[in-house]
Amino acid sequence: MAGWSQLPKDLLLLIAQRLNTHFDLLSLRSVCSSWHAFIPYSLHPLPSRFPILPTNGTSWGLYLSRRRILHLRLPESHCQSTNSSWLIKVEEDVPDMAHLVNPLSTFQFRHFPPNFPKNFAFSRFRVSELGQEYVLQYMNHRPSGEADEGSLHKGKVTFSCTSNGDDFVMLTIHVSGKLAMFRHGNKKLTLIDDMSSPCDDLIFFNGEFYAVDNTGRTVVVAIGSPPVLSLVADSVSGGNKKSLVESNGELLMVDTYFDHVIHGIMERAVRFKVFKLDQIRRVWVEIENLGDQILFLGEKSTFSAVASEFCGCAGNCIYYTNSFFFPCGQEDDAYTGIGIFNLENGNMGPLSSFPDYAKVIWPPPAWVYTDNIRGV
Amino acid sequence: MITLRSSDGETFDLDEVVAVELQTIKNMMEDRCAESVIPVPNVEGKILAKVIEYCKKHVKRTAKAEEHALSDADLKAWDSDFIKLDQATLFDLIMAANYLDIKSLLDLLCQTVADMIKGKSPEEIRKIFNIKNDFTPEEEKEIRRENQWAFE
Repeated sequence: MAGWSQLPKDLLLLIAQRLNTHFDLLSLRSVCSSWHAFIPYSLHPLPSRFPILPTNGTSWGLYLSRRRILHLRLPESHCQSTNSSWLIKVEEDVPDMAHLVNPLSTFQFRHFPPNFPKNFAFSRFRVSELGQEYVLQYMNHRPSGEADEGSLHKGKVTFSCTSNGDDFVMLTIHVSGKLAMFRHGNKKLTLIDDMSSPCDDLIFFNGEFYAVDNTGRTVVVAIGSPPVLSLVADSVSGGNKKSLVESNGELLMVDTYFDHVIHGIMERAVRFKVFKLDQIRRVWVEIENLGDQILFLGEKSTFSAVASEFCGCAGNCIYYTNSFFFPCGQEDDAYTGIGIFNLENGNMGPLSSFPDYAKVIWPPPAWVYTDNIRGV
Repeated sequence: MITLRSSDGETFDLDEVVAVELQTIKNMMEDRCAESVIPVPNVEGKILAKVIEYCKKHVKRTAKAEEHALSDADLKAWDSDFIKLDQATLFDLIMAANYLDIKSLLDLLCQTVADMIKGKSPEEIRKIFNIKNDFTPEEEKEIRRENQWAFE
């Protein structure tokens, strides 16, 4: 009687095609010998870090680094009473070496608990990829400090490539506030002049690039020469900074209200409003309740999670980054610059005040490195 | 009327309009002339029954069939019930759908299996599908390397 390990290659590939994360493919490859032989190592043809500019091999240049935001959980059979999770952001740098970065900020974790394994086998866990983050860095710069010193600028980067990696597009927010585009084969960034207000955020959603400006006016950027912007939603009135985030398959916009705005340095977030896109009327419609969803507004990326699968605590809240939280003269730690906002009652504060929400980020939960789970 | 005979001798009568959903059978029908019973040697009776059940529900809607046609939502609901099967039956069905060349059934089954795999660890996947870990020590080493991070 034939079993699944004898599934013919073309059928296995039909199934593998329907898995769209790197880790699902990796899991599939690690099941048995024949599946390992049949399934390719990576969906993504491009490595985690690859050069963007220049194209003629001089001694300086820009690299694009890809980081993955992952949700780690125990497999079902091992589940204890709580729904414990670990949320991490991993940069797989040179082969076999990885960096662990705070999922919301650029803070790098360097001091692991004493028993933390030197080689961390993630295949023991359920790994879900919640999002990807892209950062532009100068060539020959090795990520080392808390801030991305090697970064070209603080602007958000979004990226898309074809399935075989022979063409890619990168969209970013230039220091001027304008959109800038870079395509495979270009010699430099191309500025896109069409947005009247500075661009606040970008996202690659449903196969398209979306950009929102400071007023909430949102466009889709169709890549071409020249790129074409089409209106997707009109401006909204109110807050100071707009962010785009995908949640439950939909595109949401979060409007952050600041007070004490002093040249973007001492901005304290005081309120958030969340909007859903009405594609037909082309407006953002405010939503009062996120239900079971949790939104994460990181410095360089946004993503979402389902509260009941995530930490066992209530949804309808937002993790956000705020430079106002940086303490003066103290060392940065894991929670620095991160806050929680509860949509239900408007309560908000630094992450350290919300231990249930803080513990999913750092320190690593004990089940991650205690030895009662067998390896692959 | 077409008659199919499974590997274990069970026979199934189908209308032609259902039989053509099975591309392999459709091709055989076009080639053969007088054969009354088409043998399906690769597929067991209980699996063939399930395949036919699916095809009857999904038969292309002609003007005549329209009266009995299910809405898309109803069909989807029927499909969700249909795939509530143990892994052994799923496996046999995938092999049968592939051999009989029924694209929509194959798509449905592959998606079902993919959904069972998403987010699971390799050990969990083995448990679900009753697969043995048959890696050689060498392969095991390679797997371990692929599945770990050395944090700097």
